[in-house]
This record gives sequence, C-alpha cells and structure tokens, in this order.
Amino acid sequence: MNEPAVIRTHYLIRAIVLSGIACYIYMLDRNESLHYFIAPKMEVWVRLCPIPLVIIALTLLFQAFFGRSRNLCDCDHPLSPSLFRNTLIYGIFLIPLLLGFLLPNQALGTAAARKKGMALTGQYSAEQTLKEKFKSPDIYNEEFTELARLLYTEPVIEVRPDIFYETIGALDLFKKQFEGKRVRLSGFVYSDTSLDQHGAFALGRFLVLCCTADASPFGVFIKPKKPVQFAKDAWVEIEGRIHITTSQGKELMSIEADNIRTIHQPKTPYIYPNDDSVAKLTKELNKK
Amino acid sequence: MKKYAVPKYMTVLVPFSFLLVCVILFAPSAFRMLNTESAVTFKNIFNGIFLESIPFVLAGALLSSLLHLWIPEQMISRWVPNNPLLAILIACTAGIIFPICECGMIPLVRRLIQKGMPVYMAMVFILAGPILNPVVYGSTYAAFRSHPEMVYARMGLALIVATAIGLILYATMRSSPLKMSLAQINGQSMPRHRHQGGRITAVFVHTADELFAVGKYLILGCLLTAGIQTFIAKDSLTSIGSHPLGSYAFMMGFAFVLSLCSTSDAFVASTFLHSFSSGSLLAFLVLGPMLDFKNLMLLLSAFKARFVAFLAFLILSLVFVLSFLTDRVLLHLN
Repeated sequence: MNEPAVIRTHYLIRAIVLSGIACYIYMLDRNESLHYFIAPKMEVWVRLCPIPLVIIALTLLFQAFFGRSRNLCDCDHPLSPSLFRNTLIYGIFLIPLLLGFLLPNQALGTAAARKKGMALTGQYSAEQTLKEKFKSPDIYNEEFTELARLLYTEPVIEVRPDIFYETIGALDLFKKQFEGKRVRLSGFVYSDTSLDQHGAFALGRFLVLCCTADASPFGVFIKPKKPVQFAKDAWVEIEGRIHITTSQGKELMSIEADNIRTIHQPKTPYIYPNDDSVAKLTKELNKK
Repeated sequence: MKKYAVPKYMTVLVPFSFLLVCVILFAPSAFRMLNTESAVTFKNIFNGIFLESIPFVLAGALLSSLLHLWIPEQMISRWVPNNPLLAILIACTAGIIFPICECGMIPLVRRLIQKGMPVYMAMVFILAGPILNPVVYGSTYAAFRSHPEMVYARMGLALIVATAIGLILYATMRSSPLKMSLAQINGQSMPRHRHQGGRITAVFVHTADELFAVGKYLILGCLLTAGIQTFIAKDSLTSIGSHPLGSYAFMMGFAFVLSLCSTSDAFVASTFLHSFSSGSLLAFLVLGPMLDFKNLMLLLSAFKARFVAFLAFLILSLVFVLSFLTDRVLLHLN
C-alpha cells in the first residue's frame, strides 16, 4: 500500500499521458494524416479510441483531486514510490507523443523502400501462366483474368490507385497478351544501383495491409525513352507501352515511358488490396 | 485530515511542473537532432504499430477489468472440463469466437488465469487464438491464393503446436507462472476492496492500471521493431537464407523481429514465395503470431521470466521441427 498522495500523483500523470494520446489521435484524424500510419479498415477503430481514453483520463483526474483517500488503493498493481523508476516508466509513454508531435507526418518513401527491399513485378512466372491456361483456373486467377479482359478494352489502360495492386497483377500475369498496349500510372520514383541502367527506374507504391510495419514496397520497372533526372522521392505520372524485359534470368514486365510528368504526392499515397477489383472496374468503365 | 489538505495537491503538482519545464527546455534541440530521413521512417513505422495496437490493447484492458470486477474468483474453474485434451480443444477454438490480436490477449488471459482458468488452457488460447480465427484464415488465403495448401498447413500446424504445448504444460506446470500469485492478490485486495466510488469508476481505474502495465512493454516492443525495420536492410538478411536450414533460421528470425499482426503477415511472407522453401515460410507464418519481440515483451509483463523462456524454447523447437517435417512430407507430395 502506498500513501494516498503517491497514488494521486500517479493518477494525475496517467490522466495526462492518456489524454495526450487521445489528443494525438484526434489531431491526426483532423489533419487527415492517420492514413500515413494505418490502413483505412483499421482507421475506424483507432478513430474511436480517444473516447474511452478521455473517459479513463477524466475518471483518473477526478480520483486524483476529489477521490476520498480511503478509497484510493493500488492493491492490484502496486505502484512504485521510487522517483527514478517512475520517471523511466512514464518517460516511455512520452516517446510516442514526442515522436508524434515533433516529427513531421510523412508517407514512407525511398529510404524505407531501400531497407524493406523493393519487389518488382515478376511474381508470376511464364511457366505458371502456361499451367493456368490448361488447368481449370482457381479463384485467384479468375479475378485477374476477368480484370485483364476488362482492362484490354481500354485504349489507354489506366492503373487506378484503388485497384493498383490487382491491375498490375493482371497486367503482369498476361504480360505477353498486353505487350505493346499503352498504360498510364503514377507512383514515387525509386532507383538503386541494380536498376540504374540507361536511366531505368522503378515506379513504386507501398502496399499497406494493417499499418506501416507491414508496408511492402511494390514497383513496376520503367525504361524512359530519354533519360530524366528526378528529385528524391519525386512523384510522377508516366504513360508508355508495355514490354517484356529479361533481368537476371527472369521475365519482367516493363514500361517504355514516352511521357513523364512530375505530380504532387496524392492524398492517399499508399495502396491497399481490394476485395472486389472486377466490380470496381466495371462500375468505373460504365461511368464513361 | 486537515493536515493532508495542502501536501495533497503539492505532491501532485511539483513533479509535474518539473517535467513540463524539462520538456519545454529540451524538446527543440532534440527535434533538430532527430529530423533526418531515417528518423521520419522510424517514426512512421513506430507510430504505425503503436496506433494499430491501441484499439486492441484498450479492448483487452477493458474486458480484463470488467472480468475482474464482475466475475467472482474461481468462477471459470467450474466451467473447465476435467479432460485436458477437451479443455485444450476448447481453448483452440476460442479464437474463432474472440478474433482478437495478441496485443489484447495478454491482459485478458492474465485475468482469466486469476479467475481459475488453468495455465495450460490459457497458454493454448494465447498461442492458437491469433492464428486459428476467420480473419487470419481469410487474409492468408488471399495472400497465398495460388498455393492454398499453405493456408491449411498454417492452420493445422498452429493447432498441433498449440495442443502439444498445452499437453506439455499440463504435465509439467505445478506453480503459478504469473508474476503476482493468486494468494498475494487475494491477501492484499480482499479486505479493503470496496471502491465506494462505484463500480464504473473502478472499471476505468483498473483499465488504466492494465493499460500502463502492458503499455510500457508494448512501446518497448514497438521501438525495437521500428529500429530493426528502419536500420537493417532486408537484402543483408536474405543472404543468410541461401542454405537449406539457414532459410528456416532466417524466416523464423525475421518473424521474431518484425512483430507483425497475424492478419497481415501472410502478405509479407508471400513476397518470399520464390526465394525460400515452403517449409520456412510456414515456420514464419506459425512462429510470428506465437512469438515475436512485441509479444515477448507483453508476456514478460504478465509472466515470470523463467516461464516465458521455457515457453519460447517450446515454441521455437516445435515450430522448427514440425514445419520442416510438413515441408518434407506434405508440401512435396505433388
């Protein structure tokens, strides 16, 4: 058992930390920067958190100032009276707040892509495609096949951000059939020593599932017609023709870009997997 | 009582104002020092994991304190079947009903043990719950659509590992692995546990206790994970994986340091599909939700270090041996 005064101090500090976290989440939500850290399907839950946090903080605050001393007890989780220990413990809780409030809210960029390892398209080997042609297609390839059929009808294939992952997957799976088709897409410029031959680069996006810890950089191999220079983490929109390139013994889909222009980073820089890309695209195409 | 009136407020306000001065004095210089490219990446990944875990930790803490105040001690022990195998199977399927992430599970499970749930059953719930649930099944299926055998192998292996550990714990556990034993809590809290502020107040005060007990370990786990993801390149790790057994070591180590949520790790694993054996991917998928940095920290917040070390040893060896066997026997059949 601790002195009531010690318990009161703990409650006050806890109330401040919790309301700090609630404030931080609320501010992120208001600035619309929550999506820099977590995927939309998780955002709903995180956005609700300030409510219980504030209720808990208010309860603690009330107990700290007006609670009767004989009702204050720390019997379940004994509180430490040591100043050093407590500074350490509550200091830990200041880390997310300090990081959150002091550093700018930014989307992941080239630096993170380099560490995480950019995955270029080429997950679907030619052998697999052949096998699929003769086998009854499973659900996975059915979606991509249907998407590919829809995409093929477009004069210039537009890679829409909300079905980016699926569209690139479909194009990659049927890259032979799509060879020579025009395509338009946007993303951030990523280049490293393995890519940089004749000014080639990768047009990248981060695929995010729950939060930025699982963000995987995902890129398309781009060969510009004439070499171009970009600022670091520049966002570009490119238009060009689909080709097949062999790199390290693997067939890759590449785009020969004849039109590259710099754009602002879009409001939602990441891409998320879509449950029903075919329905989404059908709706978009019907609108035209 | 009057003597207490003045120091009551002073002891609260003095340390706080000191802290405030410190923050105002040191924040700007720290800010300049940190504002580099990797700091921004670090912050991004750290806050990603931290923010994502808040709803789960909050739900776990709230549920745990509700259990604490509304369910009498030893109540659950009456519902537990006598047959350990049956109890383990119930714990395995509990994840289907409560599909919560492992961050929320630990405060809840600690409370369940205090309410009379046997330790072996609780541990099976912690181990199997994050894998054997519909959400994880769906996301694994989506990530491995061209290899559906991986989905069933993941679910099956998780079931076997959790059951095996449950049986081992049933046979060997004699003393409580909780940091604070039942007797200690009963002895301390029963006589004066009245909380005249009302039960609602007590629920929130308790939730705060749980949040702070778990939170510090959670933040440490997030810090380590974010540090590894920011400063260590994946390529430098992949080179270890070229050896057939090295790939297991690499994928298991990778699962441990990444501390991903079980709902999203399948997509990360599928990026390795062509460079690593299916067995090592399976080890990644089963080990990750059972044991990782964040998880280990959370386990240490509730259980004795010796018990956690024993559990980690069991998980590591079982996952390695079983995923290796599955790779040899099942995945190479066709």
